[in-house]
Amino acid sequence: MIQGKAWKYGDSVNTDVIFPGRYTYARMEPEEMAKHALEDLDSDFAENVKAGDVIVGGRNFGCGSSREQAVTCLKSAGVGAVIAKSFARIYFRNAINSGLLALELPEAVDAIEHGDAVSIDLESGVLTHKDVEYRFPPLPPTVREILDDGGLVPHLKKKLTKEA
Amino acid sequence: MGKTVIEKILAAHSDEHVEAGKEVWIRIDVRSARDFAGASVVNNYRKAFGDQSVDDPAQTFFTFDCNAPANTIRYAQNQQVCRVFAGKHGIRVYDVDSGIGSHVLMEEGLAVPGATVVGTDSHLNIMGAVGSFGQGMGDVDIAYVFRTGQTWFEVPATLRIKVNGIPGPHATAKDLTLALVGTLGSRGALGMAVELMGPGVEGLDLAGRITLASMATEMGAIAAFLPPSEEVLAFSRSASGRDELQYPTADPDATYANSMEVDVSELRPKIAAPPRPDNVHDVDELDGEPVNTVFVGSCTNGRYEDILSVAKILQGKKISSKVTLRVSPATRGVWGRLLREGWLEVLHDAGAIVSHPACAGCAEGQIGMTGEGEVQLSTGNRNFAGKQGKGPTYLCSPATAAASALRGKITSPERL
Repeated sequence: MIQGKAWKYGDSVNTDVIFPGRYTYARMEPEEMAKHALEDLDSDFAENVKAGDVIVGGRNFGCGSSREQAVTCLKSAGVGAVIAKSFARIYFRNAINSGLLALELPEAVDAIEHGDAVSIDLESGVLTHKDVEYRFPPLPPTVREILDDGGLVPHLKKKLTKEA
Repeated sequence: MGKTVIEKILAAHSDEHVEAGKEVWIRIDVRSARDFAGASVVNNYRKAFGDQSVDDPAQTFFTFDCNAPANTIRYAQNQQVCRVFAGKHGIRVYDVDSGIGSHVLMEEGLAVPGATVVGTDSHLNIMGAVGSFGQGMGDVDIAYVFRTGQTWFEVPATLRIKVNGIPGPHATAKDLTLALVGTLGSRGALGMAVELMGPGVEGLDLAGRITLASMATEMGAIAAFLPPSEEVLAFSRSASGRDELQYPTADPDATYANSMEVDVSELRPKIAAPPRPDNVHDVDELDGEPVNTVFVGSCTNGRYEDILSVAKILQGKKISSKVTLRVSPATRGVWGRLLREGWLEVLHDAGAIVSHPACAGCAEGQIGMTGEGEVQLSTGNRNFAGKQGKGPTYLCSPATAAASALRGKITSPERL
């Protein structure tokens, strides 16, 4: 169960505002990256985000470059999920591969406002907001396994341990 | 039930049942990273897998093309990080003297009909030109594929486009491509594979197929596939030494998400005005607009045939004194052939400068950028603000680029 506060933004939130492009080549640990998450879009975010909080975006969330730093910084900041009307394809892959839940729920996006409480139950496929339940189809088994293991690399490590 | 081209290729690389909409694990034949993101792939690899060996060094490659040779310390460092990693793991590096990675992989017989290819280049779906499935991915993705030779992929649905009619002599593959991008829009094929068929595309040569397949990205598509081609098959068999290669085709009863038809018999030269590739017009509509600089090259239009068409238009003439013309062949092989046949001399005499083979105009700074208000005509694939400098960029065919360079103004090759 993911429970937290919604941080709502508009359409086409691109990878350069999720994690500022000027830090692309600065070698940072994930904890340090979290401090710069969304810094150019919302200066309150990094300081006030709590574990389990949810990012709510519009269309084409994560468009721009293929840098997975734009996922790592949110994951490291404790973000429980990103909800959007649609995702840029590479961002969606990067999110799943880093163990960050990415859900396309356009109706919920329209209803949720900045600061609202949101909860997501992956088992039953329900997002709850102000007593309204938004259902989403179960994640494909492949995606679910990668997410549950915390991303692609931990998923592989688990698979290899099992085989050994 | 029958399979589309992409379902067939993926099914041949998976142990699972493959159909559109399903997520499956697939085997990757060719794994690559370029100088952009290559160092991040290496860092991710080291963090996740330490000193463990890559799955198959013989099928893993670095291709340096974004900033080649490096003109910033940052890129030079990143390239060296890749070289050191490659040396340790026995991976081949196509270094800064090779040309555009995706083209090199085709010329070297690595990306061949039916193969799966991944890399950090967002235009890797260009491999559709040789009937191969190519895909650009993030750094973690590629590190994982380096280590395991596998990845997961959502099998895309397929949009089938029948291209009726045969364009006249002035309309090139780029004009056809821009017309399709204009018709579909940047999200027209979002998340889908595209299969093109019909007389308008059957006769395209490899260079034309590369142009069309490369801009699947600008249609929002996962990849674009073309009708079988004897030329492509012969090219890939010869490049790879593998006579058993077959061209992937769809089953007659394959399931398509959607079908559409376009007619190109009246197609005229096209141009995409800034700031988006789908802002497409007839070149003639913009006739006479002043041009400051022209770039011919890129993965979309850097083949021998592309540059030859420019040289033939410019032969014995001089470009306008008001423009600069910058040419960058796609690969060392293309460059050498143009040199040996005397076409580089023709370009030089007409007033062009010819640069080394690489991404050039599409990669920041490699063959110059534009300043604010400096109007550029480019044979590349993207004209977003800032992509090729501060000035406005128009996308067009090599022939339109050449005709416009002669006059110093946007000019359709129909007017020559």
